[in-house]
This record gives sequence, structure tokens and C-alpha cells, in this order.
Amino acid sequence: MSSSHDHADDSEHEGPLVLAVSDRHPRVRTIQVVRPEAQDTTYLAATAKGFGITLKHFAKNLFLPLKKLSGRANAGAPVEERFRNDIETVQYPEEKVTYPERFRGLHRLTLRDDGSTRCVACMCCPTVCPAHCITIIPEESGDTSIEKRPAIFEIDELRCVVCGLCVEACPCDAIRMDTGEHAKPVEDRARAIETRETMLARGVRSIATQGGEGPNWRATAPDTKTDVNR
Amino acid sequence: MTLTIDGQQVTVKKGTNVLEAARTLGVDISAFCYHPGLPVVAQCRQCLVSVEKNPKLQPSCQQTCGEGMVVHTLDAQSTLARKQMLEFTLLNHPIDCPICDKAGECTLQKLYFEHDNADSRVDVKKVEKDKAVDIGPHIVLDQERCILCSRCIRTCDVVAGEHQLEFAHRGDHEVLTTAPGAQLDNPYSLNTVDVCPVGALTAKDFRFTMRAWELEATPSVCNGCATGCNVEIHHKHGRAWRLVPRHNPEVNDYWMCDEGRYTYHDLREQRLAGATVDGLPAGWDRAVSAAGARILAGLKDPSSVGILLSAVCSNEDNFALAKLATGLGITRVLVGAKPPVPARADGRLRVADVNPNLNGVKAISDALALGARVASEPGALDGIKVLVTLGDVLPGIDGARLAEIDVIAISAHERGHVRDAYVSLPAADWAELAGTVTNHRGLVQRMHAAFVAPGQALPGWEAIVRLASATNVKLAWAHPREVFKDMVAVVPAWSALTWARDARPLALRFAGSRG
Repeated sequence: MSSSHDHADDSEHEGPLVLAVSDRHPRVRTIQVVRPEAQDTTYLAATAKGFGITLKHFAKNLFLPLKKLSGRANAGAPVEERFRNDIETVQYPEEKVTYPERFRGLHRLTLRDDGSTRCVACMCCPTVCPAHCITIIPEESGDTSIEKRPAIFEIDELRCVVCGLCVEACPCDAIRMDTGEHAKPVEDRARAIETRETMLARGVRSIATQGGEGPNWRATAPDTKTDVNR
Repeated sequence: MTLTIDGQQVTVKKGTNVLEAARTLGVDISAFCYHPGLPVVAQCRQCLVSVEKNPKLQPSCQQTCGEGMVVHTLDAQSTLARKQMLEFTLLNHPIDCPICDKAGECTLQKLYFEHDNADSRVDVKKVEKDKAVDIGPHIVLDQERCILCSRCIRTCDVVAGEHQLEFAHRGDHEVLTTAPGAQLDNPYSLNTVDVCPVGALTAKDFRFTMRAWELEATPSVCNGCATGCNVEIHHKHGRAWRLVPRHNPEVNDYWMCDEGRYTYHDLREQRLAGATVDGLPAGWDRAVSAAGARILAGLKDPSSVGILLSAVCSNEDNFALAKLATGLGITRVLVGAKPPVPARADGRLRVADVNPNLNGVKAISDALALGARVASEPGALDGIKVLVTLGDVLPGIDGARLAEIDVIAISAHERGHVRDAYVSLPAADWAELAGTVTNHRGLVQRMHAAFVAPGQALPGWEAIVRLASATNVKLAWAHPREVFKDMVAVVPAWSALTWARDARPLALRFAGSRG
């Protein structure tokens, strides 16, 4: 009996109040049940309080200026953060958020000084592409120092997983994903295929030296002993 | 003769060089100028090794094995020598791997990663030589990439018997060239592209189409002529991109002719991709039942029905058709073969007979006592009203005579008599089927399927099995192995042959360098 009495004592701290314990079955007990008062069961006070919170947010979001988000038109207005509303929604496409500098966007092909593509159709990017979304058909360029160029260069943006390995693999700085644009929605799968022409239209002249710096590359290269980043 | 290489004992035949002995142990000593099929010149010095009791490093390609010789390939002295030789070879090499067609199967590239892997120490401009030199009808030469190993020169000498290439000038201005006004145009010239350890010689046919690492290789046999050179079909995206020779000392050694290399183009020419009846597209079922009905109707007069075996199709396809003929009681058996080209025969690899399997058809015809006649013989087609043909070769028949015959054609290509066939059944071509062909010496060689046949095409023997069920002949083969088994049981000369396991395509990116 003593052990079951101890047990009942322990449970008094957390559980309901135990009034009596059965002799034959110590786990069979009589407890005191506390029922809520009528004014509590109607939840009127809590409901009113909840409505109050909702109204506060409604008023705040209706009358205070928009929350500060990078790329928002009024983001720079001189209003303290706590006097701004809570709305995160961006009214795309009227309003756009600027992507981070290293955002991987739509592909583009860089250009030589004469405006032709820097790509030499070496096939490194379709080889490394995990999604097999790059199709290149090479042709002879006619220039013996370049020899090869892509006759067809297509990227299926629907299949692209935006991993950026094509940019890493390119030995010529010919393909980049630094446009800051993401693939646009299309109504037709064929329109999601970027061609050589569309990617060249987005292209810029690369400042990388075509064919490398040449035999005197050490003259311009950073000092490997002092430059900790190398 | 027993010697020790890197602590491992190896026993080789007398006269074997150290490099080959090392390769039997799996020790791959690097080399540019050495090729097992060519005379040894030891001029690249890339295979230098230390031999105990010998004060100087020895080129392992030239050093014949001696009894009790102790060779070291991994000691500091020879490792340094090979590394320095490689740096020397790379001095004026343009390192234009991204646009070089050899990248991925280049010995220089492979050795650079294995041995050197260091930056260039040269601060002067590289020597500039001619690029994209049109050196012959099939080949483009890049003199800057050439490392002057002379393999191509020796290949022309040994394989073609024509000394068409030579070095000109000296020192770092030395270049590979032809004689003024002459071209690299011997019938075996493309072997120089295979042996070239760098991208100096590239084939116009293959240049800029595929990178080597994208390709898959399937072993097969060239069907250009009766020699049956062993080849690898290099393929991707369901089509062949080039053929390269596969080593077989009994047939073609390391080589094949230029003409044979171009035969893969025909795999995409005028292909029959669907069955037709009376010139209109039909499914297999309707075409086979129409063909069966026509054969059975024709057999009311057995002398008016014939079959045409094909010297360009496999042994299995021909045997299947021959068994169909014996099952149906057809006695008019013809052979369709391309006429010989005597100008081709040169005592090397090229022979006059341009049919890959004329010997096989003869052996099958003799074994089954079919008494096959060559279709171009005068009177061979007289009285025939229904002809079941294999292949698209039926020379010497005029259109008016053909119009009188109801042809049931089993063919990979829609050309020649197949165009006018009553029923045409699409068949797989040589690169798409598992089977055997018999070369001019009677050697039966195995072809493996590299990719699937276009459209509805089936292997020839399978089309014949369907035809047999439509004509109530019992032919129950489900695999070319079963056709082969029945065939070798009948043909006495082939009784010892067994069916080799089907080869799967091997991705070349795992196969190491070629050349």
C-alpha cells in the first residue's frame, strides 16, 4: 500500500487531484474533475482578441508603406523598418526583385572582337552536362587558327538543371549564365530551346584573352607567393 | 627467356622487346614512335628504362629481352628521363586540345596527365608551322601538332608499300610533308590517322563530327570485300561515325583499307524501314501473309518459284532462307553477288571479290546440296515467276524480265530489284545484327550489333522465320545463336565453331588512348 501511496503523491504535482486509490488495483483511482466555467467555454474574449490582431495587421498592411525588399521601387524610401507593412508579395512582372550577383540565369554566348562566337565547339559542355540539354553540331570555321565553330548550339532550358557546370567546363569563356534573367514561361516546348542566335544576341565581348595569355602569361599573372587567393 | 621487370618475373619468346614484355605484365611503358605493327626506330625516346649492368638508359622498344635481365621502369633515373622527354616533345606542341579531334584518345594527352602534369617552363613563342594542310584526298595535316614520331611514314611504307610521307627541314623546324606535288593518296592512307599518337593527321570524313569520348565501340567485320577486316564500329546516337581496324593477326593485322572505312555511310542510304505490299506501306503481318500466300500459290508449279541467297548477307540469314527453301521444296536456288573488281586486288588486304560472304553462301549451298547458281548466269532466272530474295544485289537482270517476276524481297535497302518487289520486308544491315560472315580464306568471323535497325526492320533470319510460319514450314528459331547452332551442325567445315558471346558497346572514354 505504501508504494502505491507514494505513486499517488508523485502524480499530484502534474496530474489531476487524486481523491482515492483502489486497494486491489492501484491504477484505478478516483480523481477530481475540474470543469470550465460558462464564460470560458464561449471563447468570446479570445475571439475578440484574435479579431483585434487581425485588424491591427490589416490596418498596418493597408496604410503603412511596403516592406523593404531589394529591387522594390519604394524600397529606398526613408521609413524605418518597424513603420513598414509585412507584405512579402512582389507584384511580378511590374515589380522585380534583383537577383544576387552570382545568380545562374539564362545562358548566353560571348563574342570575339569581330562579333562571332568564341565557342570552338569543343564539346566539353555537352559532355559535362548532367541533364544532357546541350546540343552542338560543329562545323569547319575556315579560319585555320580557330578551325572549329558551332553550326548549331542549342540548350533546352526546360531540361537544364541550372547547375552551371557548362560554364565551369568551358575553356574559352564562351558560355556564361550571368544574364540575371531566369528562363521565361512558354506556351510551347519548342520555344524553351535557346539557339545559337538567341544566346549570341544576349552575348557580350569577353575580356579573357582568346587562346590564353600566351608564352608571356607570367608577366601579367598575379604573384602566387603573395596572393593568398591563389 | 626469363627476365625481371619492376621485380616481377616474366617469360617471353626470344626476340621480344622489353616494352612488349612489360605490357604482358600490365606495366605500360609510355611510347610514341613504337607501334607493334611497324618497324622499331626508337626515335621518340619516350620509353627509356633502366637495365641493370647497363650504364645508359635503354629505349625499351629497341632493347630485346635477355636471359636474366633486370629492368626498372619506375626508378628515379628513368622516370625523370621520360618526364623530361615528354616536356621536350611538348615544347612546340600547340596544346589546342579543345579543338583537336584527337583529344580524348591522344597518347600525348594521356602521357601528360600520367607523367608530367606541370606547367610549361618556356617563355619564348612556339614555332609556328602550317595548319590544316590538305595532304591528301582523305586526310588533313596539322604540322604544329605533329611530334615527329614517324609512325605514319612507316605505315605508308609497310602497309601500302608506298613511301609517300617524309620529314623536311631540321631541328624545331622539321615538318612532316609529302614530296612536292605529291599527295598522301595510297589506298591504305587512313591507317596513318589511326597510328598518329597526336592530332596531326585527321580524317576529313570524321573530323569535327564527334569527340572521341562520346563514342561507343562495337566489334564487327568490315563488309566491304571478302577479306573481312576486323573492325570496331564507333557509334553514337544510333548511327556509325567511323570504322577503325581491330587487331587480328590472321586477317588484317592492325590495318584496313580506306574504301572499307567508308562503307558505314551505306548504313544510312536508301534504307527500307517498313514492310510494303505492292508498293504501298503495310504492317509486318499483312506483308508476311501476302508473301506467304503468293509463295504457296506459286508452288503449284514448283519450278516457277526460286530463292536468291545473298553474298552480302550473313551466314545465318542465308542458312535460314536455304532451310525455308528446302522446307517448301523449292529447288531453284540462285546467288546474288556483286561482280568482282579485279583492279582492287593488290596482294595486301584488298581483294577482287567485293562480297563479304560469297564463301559462306557457297558452303551453305554445298552442305544442303542446293546447287546454287549465280543469278547473273544466262538462263538462271528462266521460268521463275516468284522469287524470294535476300539482300539488294541482283545484277544483270533487265527491267522487263523483272516485271514478270513477283519478288518477295528481304532487304535492308530499297534499291535495285527491291524497288519493284511485290512484297518487301525490311531487314537489319550488317552493323545492326549479330551474325557471322565467311571471308575469302574460309574464316568464319563474328559481327556484333552496334545499334538497332531503323523503323520496323528485323534481322533477316527473323523475317524468314515469320515467312516460314505463313507458309507452314517449321522454323522455330528465337535467337541467331540457334540458327548458328543448326547451321554448323550441317556444314562440315564449320562443325567445330561455337557462338561467341554477344559483345556490348564499350564507351571509348574508358578505353584509353588509340594510336
